[in-house]
Amino acid sequence: MSTCPRCQAAEEKIRAEHKGLNAQGELVWTIFHCNACEFTWRDSEPASTIDYNKREAFFRVDPEKPYPVIMPPAQYKK
Amino acid sequence: MSTDKKPLSAKARAVGERIGSLRDFLEFLEENGQCITWTDEIMPEPDVRNIAVAAGRDSMNGPAVIFNNIAGYPGKKLVLGVHGSFTNLALLLGHPKGTTIKELFYDIISRWGDDKPLLDFIEPDAAPVNENRLTDNFNLYDLLPLYRINEYDGGFYIGKANVVSRDPRDPDNFGKQNVGIYRIQVQAPGEFTLLSVPAHDMGRHIMAAEQDNVPLKIAVMLGNHPAMCMFAATPVGYDESEFAYASQMMGSPLRLTKSNNGMDILADSEMIIEAELMNGVRSFEGPFGEFPGSYSGVRKIPRFKVTAISHRNDPIFENIYIGRGWTEHDTLIGLNTSAPIYAQLTKDFPEVVAVNALYQHGLTGIISVKNRFAGFAKSVAMRALGTPHGTMYLKNLIMVDDDVDPFDLNEVMWALSTRTRAEDTIVIPNMPMIPIDPAAEIAGKGHRLIIDATSFMPPDKLGSDSKIVTPPAGPEIDEIAKVIQLLQNGGQL
Ligand SMILES: [Zn+2]
Repeated sequence: MSTCPRCQAAEEKIRAEHKGLNAQGELVWTIFHCNACEFTWRDSEPASTIDYNKREAFFRVDPEKPYPVIMPPAQYKK
Repeated sequence: MSTDKKPLSAKARAVGERIGSLRDFLEFLEENGQCITWTDEIMPEPDVRNIAVAAGRDSMNGPAVIFNNIAGYPGKKLVLGVHGSFTNLALLLGHPKGTTIKELFYDIISRWGDDKPLLDFIEPDAAPVNENRLTDNFNLYDLLPLYRINEYDGGFYIGKANVVSRDPRDPDNFGKQNVGIYRIQVQAPGEFTLLSVPAHDMGRHIMAAEQDNVPLKIAVMLGNHPAMCMFAATPVGYDESEFAYASQMMGSPLRLTKSNNGMDILADSEMIIEAELMNGVRSFEGPFGEFPGSYSGVRKIPRFKVTAISHRNDPIFENIYIGRGWTEHDTLIGLNTSAPIYAQLTKDFPEVVAVNALYQHGLTGIISVKNRFAGFAKSVAMRALGTPHGTMYLKNLIMVDDDVDPFDLNEVMWALSTRTRAEDTIVIPNMPMIPIDPAAEIAGKGHRLIIDATSFMPPDKLGSDSKIVTPPAGPEIDEIAKVIQLLQNGGQL
């Protein structure tokens, strides 16, 4: 796992969430999560979802960009 | 809507008494050929999505699908499509296969209301949902066979949870306790985001808690009684209880108990996730393939932290496929969207016969009405646009006569072909609109279209070839059609 498939955040921003094992206890897949853009993925998914270059560019996320905030609370800080 | 109330049939009562939980309903569906089990090993992506879409193609008779062999989730069960076809809804209401949508519509209207709630309260220790209880080390990725519903969703969604919350400013008020379906994106093993807006009851609870800086506790109910899901997705009044509506619809008691964090919950659900709002926190959420068939984009939304989880032995994760229609979402909420519009219209206009708001939560609606005088249907259409749901959703409205079944699109198309004059088409520009209409130029605004496909009456002018054939119609013919269907399916008279 190198970078985030959605925002290309570097490896240190990515955490491994969970390993899926089969009934024999062997590793089947791993779920990852990007701390920068909150994308979650499984390494067994089709490339059209988890390969940055094969994903539709429309769905890229730039965490530095302002996105709409739902019900911004008074104490909300970016 | 109480004027239409009829006592339930013996069959409906028997089904209501038999079904107390998701498990009971799955067994009942299976006996009736409406639930299948997918036993071949599949990958979470893209297999679950592919099978869900294929099973959902038949909106009349598609089955629920249980998955029990998902790679990486040994021993875990997932079910989709529980409300995926009108036949599944018919069975829930005690009707046979072959029941028409219009018959279901009238049945739901006759059951609608919360004036006779049937609720049994049982001790938490006796509730099946408390067979197992976790108080730390939560891992939603392990407990639930999670997967990506649509390929560009931002993560793994729980799309059919019934979420219970209480008004933090009036926490003892049972009626103001809300049960709603809100999309939930798992954001960490023990954290998730939940999308609500200020107009929702849950949105009001979130804003009140953050303003007063008090905790907001919620209970996320998964794998619920099938009637609960239908009402959790239905806008009822702020001080009305969805539990009361659901129990009245079934005509038999729902079993409730208390969650450890003070919510009333269904005692027989598969899993309860207790959680608390992380005050002031907003996280990236989305995109998510929504009911108009388009993705709603990335936003920053409220986040919750899991505080405890209860679940039955071998819990079944019930989820939904939602995306470009027809999907389970349309069947799940369609009739319960149509019923309140009908109720509000008939208060002023008893000439309204039926309302079909099945399509994309009512983005297109079809109303059948008996014209009282020329142009009358247009007045009814204007009133429909002013109903609470109509204000934000009814974008395209087709008005048909009382001799046209608005749930039968062949009949609706006939009315459009033969009774529409282009000048009877009205466009009202720049009206309010739900923000996720993919056709919108500006999110939150849109134009309304009314097509009057009702027939003409004086003082309208009429051409010479306007006399309509009167083919045999009515209950007698409906009955014959059912006999033919029975014979065709190998049945006997
Ligand atoms: Zn990212």
